[in-house]
Amino acid sequence: MPQYASRILSSFFSLALLLVLVFFLSRLTGDPAALFLPVDATPEMLNQFRELHGLNDPIVVQFGRYVWDVLHLDFGESLRQARPAIDIVLQAFVWTLWLAITTIILVSIAAIVIGSLAAFRPGGVFDRLVSLISLIGASAPDFWIAIVGITVFAIGLGWLPTSGTGTVWHWILPIAVLFIRPFGLLLQVVRGSMVQAFGSAYVKTARAKGVGNRSIIFVHTLRNAMLPVITVIGDQAAAMLNGAVVVETIFGFPGVGKLMIDSILTRDFNVILAAILVTALAIFIMNLLIDLAYALLDPRIRT
Amino acid sequence: MIRSTLLFTAALTALPLASAYAQKAGEVTVVLGEDLDLVEPCMATRSNIGRVILQNVNETLTQYDVKGGKGVLPRLAESWADQGNGTWRFNLRKGVKFSNGTAFDANDVKHSFERMVSDKITCESSRYFGDTKLSLNVVDDNTIDVTATPPQPILPLLMSIVTIVPSETPMAFVRDPIGTGPYKLTQWNQGQNITLQARSDYWGQAPAVKKATYVFRSDPAVAAAMVTKGEADLAPSISAADATDPKSDVSYLNSETLYLRIDSAVAPITDKRVREALNLAIDRSAFIGSLLPKGTVEAAAIVPPTTLGWNPNVKPFPFDPAKAKKLLAAAKADGVPVDTKFYLIGRSNLFPGVVEVVEAMQQMLQDVGFNVEVQMLEVAQIEQLYSKPFKEGRPPQMLVVQHDNSRGDPVFSMYFKYDSKGRQSGIADPKADELIAKATAATGPERAKLWSDLIAYVHDDVVADVLLFHMVNFARVGKRIAFTPTIATNSQLELADITFK
Repeated sequence: MPQYASRILSSFFSLALLLVLVFFLSRLTGDPAALFLPVDATPEMLNQFRELHGLNDPIVVQFGRYVWDVLHLDFGESLRQARPAIDIVLQAFVWTLWLAITTIILVSIAAIVIGSLAAFRPGGVFDRLVSLISLIGASAPDFWIAIVGITVFAIGLGWLPTSGTGTVWHWILPIAVLFIRPFGLLLQVVRGSMVQAFGSAYVKTARAKGVGNRSIIFVHTLRNAMLPVITVIGDQAAAMLNGAVVVETIFGFPGVGKLMIDSILTRDFNVILAAILVTALAIFIMNLLIDLAYALLDPRIRT
Repeated sequence: MIRSTLLFTAALTALPLASAYAQKAGEVTVVLGEDLDLVEPCMATRSNIGRVILQNVNETLTQYDVKGGKGVLPRLAESWADQGNGTWRFNLRKGVKFSNGTAFDANDVKHSFERMVSDKITCESSRYFGDTKLSLNVVDDNTIDVTATPPQPILPLLMSIVTIVPSETPMAFVRDPIGTGPYKLTQWNQGQNITLQARSDYWGQAPAVKKATYVFRSDPAVAAAMVTKGEADLAPSISAADATDPKSDVSYLNSETLYLRIDSAVAPITDKRVREALNLAIDRSAFIGSLLPKGTVEAAAIVPPTTLGWNPNVKPFPFDPAKAKKLLAAAKADGVPVDTKFYLIGRSNLFPGVVEVVEAMQQMLQDVGFNVEVQMLEVAQIEQLYSKPFKEGRPPQMLVVQHDNSRGDPVFSMYFKYDSKGRQSGIADPKADELIAKATAATGPERAKLWSDLIAYVHDDVVADVLLFHMVNFARVGKRIAFTPTIATNSQLELADITFK
């Protein structure tokens, strides 16, 4: 357990350093007043906006105030929305979290099952077909898949809504679009890892002892082949927790990716910081879970 | 495998999906490109907010007629009169109630103004009043005197910008706007939708639309698809590329004027011949129907044709590269450094296809002998170059920018763009300053004439900038409704203008 304590401590320092960097870097991009107010706003209005939001104070004073507030769990107010930044971020993050969790579970199940079956007869028809599909999936641009998906399934066939939220049907297209790329990638990893495992000595031994195919795949091989797969699942999940900007934008999903981009474009500093804090924490927690999964799968890591 | 796929397909099609997204009678869904960060009445002059709440939730004392050319019309004020010395008396409508049940009176008007100029919040609408100081005197419940210092001859028009809120409204941005309009805001799921419900106790005519839901899609192709599929009834702004169905798609002038802001304090733009050559080098008509949609209008003024004093006698510069070359040669012979490198500066998301438009203009300018480099910058960088104070030692710059004026009077444009002290003005011309001052103070036909004179003077005599196009938008209107977009649709979308077929 001590390795987790040091891990948590070092993650905490990285997070603090990240927030300090983002605090100063975001302020280097310029003045949010010029973006909040129109181009013909008077200098007095611009100044009043800065004054109201403490942007006229020296940057060190602003930083001190920010740190003090954060220590009191106050992440400041959004410059644009006039409400607490953390509320805005958490509201958006819930959408992203659901999207990410659902997609990654579906991707993992599909890639592991199909990848294992493909690896069983490398070079066979099924394997080649799977490789082709995964290559297309891993390389197709998601905005294109999204628009084609809407054109075919919403407008052409009329099965699904074009976009938006509200019913379970609204989730199908966004998840399907999010699914394709990580699925293609993970499928390749599962397949590669399984092919390697099938060639190993313990599988040959099991075969020699007359163990059935199903048992060889799902009991003997899969567990050993899972370590690299879990790493890739973790990477993909982390990318999704940062927000699926394209999917959120096209389907009008109010997730954290679009929020982050919008807040950067409008220089809504407190929202940028809160969004980075929340997503970083989520990724940190996920990495811990992956470590635990490693330990669970491989007894050598536990010691 | 095939059998199970077929079964799954059959199961899906059997579900009554289509009806789940269909609209109910009296209800409309409007799909907008830009979400709202605030639903604050005193920010309703910002187009993303105004589109939803202006005249729907929060009304103004007067309104400008963008459809019939009738000028300033009554709304919450029934009539007004100039009392002299900068004071105007407004007689307010009786029997008007806010959506929270309280009665509308002169104190609400006073509070709305005080809130707009309060230093506790930054209300955007106050910029329209510039340095004008206002004092409000409540005569009785239904009468209020507004005194402007210096006197403000267009005070009744300016009233079309100030949204009225009840006197209990705090001096902080609100998230539940209360107004006197035909609708009240009943739901706001930020980032997802806003719902307005018609009020039964509205003072005016009951609108046909009983409930309106606004949803937000930043991809115009998706917005257009929603109307096609019947998930939405109106997408007021789709891209020209998506406007492919003549039955449902209409183009309309969107009140934006595209122009090149040049800075005549920097050589060689100081020379009028160079400014003329810039204008003559650009083949405006070649853009329309190719890089810019059909319906785009060549511009000879920074304000759109529906504006007071718009001058039909001022014609856009013709495309005359031979004359442009001649002018440049003459300037060069007089020692003007016409070979200096010019920067043509745009931003990539100003409108669809802007990069191609800018590159085409660069080519046209190079063809007559200008040395032009294109730069695409971010909005904030452009704004720094656009507004004063300008940097010392700057090179000759031409900013590709748009200006929006749907408010009906050039006063909202001319001071900023052409007065010596105007923040985005590229000229310093005493006669232009004088005309602006006079027109700003004038009323009636005299005012229209002075604005006409100014438009002609800055275009023909000063050659202040390179005016390019009055831009168009496209709207997709669903089968169930009738709606004709106007020049103000971009900033104000009155649900009362929508009827059902």
